[in-house]
Amino acid sequence: MALRSINLPGIGTKYELETEKNDTIAVFFLKSGNIQMYTLQNGCQTPSVAELSAQEARRLGSILTGAIMEADQESVEFAVSALSDLRITIHTYVVRKSVAGKSIEELQIRAKTGVTIIAISRGDKNVINPPADFVFQEGDTLVAIGESDQLKRFERDIMVT
Amino acid sequence: MQGIVLALLACLLLALITKRFALPTIPFYIIAGLVLGKSGLDLVGGDAVSAFLTHLGLLFLLFFMGLEIKPDRIWKNQSAIVSSGLIDLNINVIIGFLAAFALGFPLFDALVVAAAFFISSTAMAVTSLIENRKLLMRESETIVWLMVFEDIVVILILVFIGPQMDHPLAILIKTLIVLVILLMIIRVGKDHIIWVLKRDDELPVLLTFSVVLGISALSLYLGIPESFMVIAFGTMLGTIDPVSFEVQSRPFKDVFLVIFFVFFGITVNLFAEGISLLTLAAISITAVFSKYVSGIAIGRLIHKNAHSGIEIWANTISRGEFSIAIAALYGSAVVSSAIAFMVIVTSIIGAFAAKYSGRIGKVFVRPPRTVREDDAARLT
Repeated sequence: MALRSINLPGIGTKYELETEKNDTIAVFFLKSGNIQMYTLQNGCQTPSVAELSAQEARRLGSILTGAIMEADQESVEFAVSALSDLRITIHTYVVRKSVAGKSIEELQIRAKTGVTIIAISRGDKNVINPPADFVFQEGDTLVAIGESDQLKRFERDIMVT
Repeated sequence: MQGIVLALLACLLLALITKRFALPTIPFYIIAGLVLGKSGLDLVGGDAVSAFLTHLGLLFLLFFMGLEIKPDRIWKNQSAIVSSGLIDLNINVIIGFLAAFALGFPLFDALVVAAAFFISSTAMAVTSLIENRKLLMRESETIVWLMVFEDIVVILILVFIGPQMDHPLAILIKTLIVLVILLMIIRVGKDHIIWVLKRDDELPVLLTFSVVLGISALSLYLGIPESFMVIAFGTMLGTIDPVSFEVQSRPFKDVFLVIFFVFFGITVNLFAEGISLLTLAAISITAVFSKYVSGIAIGRLIHKNAHSGIEIWANTISRGEFSIAIAALYGSAVVSSAIAFMVIVTSIIGAFAAKYSGRIGKVFVRPPRTVREDDAARLT
């Protein structure tokens, strides 16, 4: 898996990756702010190309990290290298019927799983740092932060039951 | 004043149409100028105001080019730049010079035509690579480095050919002293410049506009090559914060450059001194042909493959902003008309060649090897 990057004057930055199966993937961060992604199958001559906005590229990036459960649930994981590679994951979930009508306190989210709810989106309104007595409704999207193990526990013990 | 407004409106209309069909805009600005000006309806003429705005267009084009030049990056990629660049330079300058000389241009004029012949349009090459989605091609890197080499040659031309009032050595020494002083000012004032650029009021744009005009005025006052100084200062400022200077100067560049192109067209007399349509066409066709010769030669040298040559050719046919700049700075009436015609023809042919280069390649040369084989050939 060879990765090379090069700065092309007037165009932008190019990243080219050759996979083990000899397919080629190249990503160009253009000066316009858009991103062109080329994929070239081994033995093929003409690549297929997609042009993405920065936002679309980030979305694609989080899909490729393998963190997405469903289309409307996604997560990002990042490492804070200054704190001996502390890895933090932020994940979104959609509130189902089983949890609706209960508050954060009632569910004992932090005590049971270690996960913290940092934001909730209901319709077109967002609540940042919801209070402990915040009551969920079905269809709310919540944003949870924690280690990936904690989030798995949260998903298994609280969101699903 | 009404003339400028009329010219700008014509350009706006043309830009709307050409962008819709993904065609390059530069040739159409020049055509608009030709139609409105001396060669056509004679509705608009150049005056002091248009001359000033045109001058700004040229300054911002050069400043922008300076910002893009990264000396360290060029240094690191010398081998990629120099070999293909020299082929491009030799073939096109020689063919261009011989063609112009054979068609009866005097020696200096033939040299100016040769320079304009050589310099492809960086703007059009880059746009066509991105819009035709050809960035992954091995050739696109070669093309990008070719453009860098051509830019360096433009700079050399601007340093050495100019209105010389002093002894060349005196100019050189003066230029060097000014460059060193500017470099020191930038070193010392770096933090202040960054502070100004970070602001969100009128200061960043005011700074950008006034440094470009300031350097131009200073150069004229001291009798040192103005165009070169603007590029060099752009390169120096590029070491501080290229993105922010680009963002600030882009609107100036965009609008003044359009004025530059349209007024170039307006002031050109297409049939100056009885130059025939045949001569103009001959020069333009030779310009398309000479890039074919150099493209194939570079393709064979770098990619060991004539098909690569076709790609390089297709994306470098278009002559544009720098050819016009050379004409505006050094060209006589006849040379300007020849270059204007050549830019129009080559950029329109170039736009189509770049789009359909794959099909053209199949007609002209044997089918290419796959990219992988190409890689293998390079490694061995």
